[in-house]
Amino acid sequence: MDFKLTDEQIERRKEFFEACKKLEKQKPANFVGHESIYTSDEGWEYHLHCAKEFAKRGWLSLGWPPEYGGKGDMMDCVLFAEARGYYDVPGVDGFGVRMLAPTLLQAASEEIRKEFLPPIAAAEVIWCEPWSEPDAGSDLAALTATAIRKGDEYVINGQKTWTTGAHRADWGFGVFKTDPAARKHHNLSFLLFDMKTPGITVRPVLYMHGGHVYNEVYFDDAHIPTRNIVGQENEGWAVVNLLAGFERSGIDEIMRLLRGLEHLVAYCNETRRNGEPLSKDPVIRNRLAQIACELEAARTLAYRVADLQSRNEMSLMDASAVKIFTGELSERFASLATDILGPYGQVKFSRWAPMSGLWETMYQECFVFTVSMGTNEIQKNIIAWYGLGLPRMR
Amino acid sequence: MDLRFTEAQEMLRKTARDFLTTECPKTKVRELEEVEEGYSPETWRKMAELGWMGLIIPEEYEGMGVTFQDLMVLLEEMGRNILPGPFLSTTVSTFPILEVGTEAQKREFLPKIARGELVLTSALLEVSGMFDASGIATKAMPKEGDFIISGTKLFVEMAHVADYLICATRTKEGVSPEEGITLFMVEAKAPGISCEVMPTIGMDKLCEVRFEDVLVPGKNLLGELDKGWAVVEKTLEKGAIASCAESIGGMQACVELTVAYSKDRVQYDRPIGAFQALQHIMADMWIAMETSRYLVYEAAWMESEGLPCAKEVSMAKAYVNEAYKDVAKWAVRLHGAIGTSRDHDIPLYYRRAKAVDTAFGSTDFHNKLVAEKIGLI
Repeated sequence: MDFKLTDEQIERRKEFFEACKKLEKQKPANFVGHESIYTSDEGWEYHLHCAKEFAKRGWLSLGWPPEYGGKGDMMDCVLFAEARGYYDVPGVDGFGVRMLAPTLLQAASEEIRKEFLPPIAAAEVIWCEPWSEPDAGSDLAALTATAIRKGDEYVINGQKTWTTGAHRADWGFGVFKTDPAARKHHNLSFLLFDMKTPGITVRPVLYMHGGHVYNEVYFDDAHIPTRNIVGQENEGWAVVNLLAGFERSGIDEIMRLLRGLEHLVAYCNETRRNGEPLSKDPVIRNRLAQIACELEAARTLAYRVADLQSRNEMSLMDASAVKIFTGELSERFASLATDILGPYGQVKFSRWAPMSGLWETMYQECFVFTVSMGTNEIQKNIIAWYGLGLPRMR
Repeated sequence: MDLRFTEAQEMLRKTARDFLTTECPKTKVRELEEVEEGYSPETWRKMAELGWMGLIIPEEYEGMGVTFQDLMVLLEEMGRNILPGPFLSTTVSTFPILEVGTEAQKREFLPKIARGELVLTSALLEVSGMFDASGIATKAMPKEGDFIISGTKLFVEMAHVADYLICATRTKEGVSPEEGITLFMVEAKAPGISCEVMPTIGMDKLCEVRFEDVLVPGKNLLGELDKGWAVVEKTLEKGAIASCAESIGGMQACVELTVAYSKDRVQYDRPIGAFQALQHIMADMWIAMETSRYLVYEAAWMESEGLPCAKEVSMAKAYVNEAYKDVAKWAVRLHGAIGTSRDHDIPLYYRRAKAVDTAFGSTDFHNKLVAEKIGLI
């Protein structure tokens, strides 16, 4: 058992942290919370700027095999994610870089990889994931959107929703029914499509704080080439499961919360209430200590997942555990922080807002972790069924 | 980074698991709870033959000289099985001898500990029940090169069967409570010492130990006069991690037993484990165990590397205290009425979880330390 990083890893980590620290200084003032990349034009510009900076250094393809321009080092990916999380710097496309690329590497044809991987590594194409449908959320395989093959094209019809960043992205990936007559799980195909394809319409769905994060994506006879398929026709469900494994990570979120804790500790040390610094309040001390312990528990478990991943020994249970735990920790932490700030906990980014309104934003955006990417309840099913071997729900 | 156990450690785990399963079934655990001695000297001898008491003792003193991590493996298995007796108290009390003992003390005590001939325990807590220096009032007065100890220690694990007590005493009223604390190795059967087992939830033989003008030879002073607090702190640190390892084993048992029971127990024509309400609780139990596990492993790794780890240790102890109690509580709940029965194994863990949460610092005690370490002024 050894938590130690090699000298080379320590050096790389330093490099990642320095680069992100520099990029943090260029952050727009109103960039509060990571959904800011979608909610404002400056946020999106900043996201692309960071992405280009990372692409220049080859950091968007760190975990890829050398033949695709990567270094094949999962640990580097983790250290890079730590740095981005700590400084809350965007620039890594959560859909293209983190989910689609590793999926393509495992499941796509050589032709598809050659075509789609380089633009991801170069930050030239940003992706979105039109995934859920109005009547297919957790039960994704119940989806109804169709892609019917006609010659060398699929014609797509239907509606996706809750699509993060569809209004900003260049390309999208999703699953569609390619054989509506076949039974569930055996009728789906995983397709890639240009968001500018005629017939694709994107409409905003505003998040509770009014920000434009999510979208509805409509497909009305959208024609896409049949070669834009990952895996075999009607075998898209296997690709979905593969991709789901890459969705759950968490170390960047944990580092973001750790930085949040540092800010909050400084705030408590500096802020006096009834003539005493908040930091002297034993209740506050106790609650912050508790959060600190939980954060460290999340961090060490995320290392466990990274350690397994770096040896290609994925543990579905541990990955789900990190996702569940970190998500619920985000909710608890946002609740605690806004409590500590008292009436200021409700103030949005403005001259009255402590920490630029970070916690007011977090209080709302924390559901991004507990609801999306397989709700925590679905993750608990995964642990119960696949991990503990309990009987599956019918 | 490599968060796996070594092959040798996995071997040790298997040996321990097999040994404890045969040597200490739960019927035996309950039996030992009821008897005054609280442990099986026969099992103790066999453990010594396996070299367990000498695990952390260097080879030059007849030990095996392995790392703190190997000890963790063993303790996890002891926590999983539950092994009543003085293993933890002896091991934790060995650390100060290793750290600050003189060469003569090491030669005198360590080989005997390694051979299983000495049972040790640490007498730290007093009437305040708190692990702060201010709680130590038991006095040691110098007398012609020797010392006379008077006072009362409480919650001293297995003191009634111990051969030596590592006793924290006050030798000087300093400017701060941390100053003027001195450690002694006190022969447990010395004249003037009386010992009484306290009835506790864990039935784990915590004792009240009264010292009435007990003469301790000067050669049994452990470490430096008046400067013992740093040693106590270090011992508490190691004890906290060690007890966390036991708790992880305990949580593992709770999860295993509960999952197995829920697959077996049929109500409404199906195993109760098929109900999602129960599945999610078991998933939560597993998560609590697994988050605890790597937090503790990190602290143990830092400890074995000699890195400063007071913060990580306190985080682990504070977190694991609550996690174990919670996991054990749900284990009882999911077993239903049978889980509350004296004859069932689950309540052993439930009571144990409460007992260990007070050992080497409660959640509040460690959270206070964590609050300081994260920079709250």
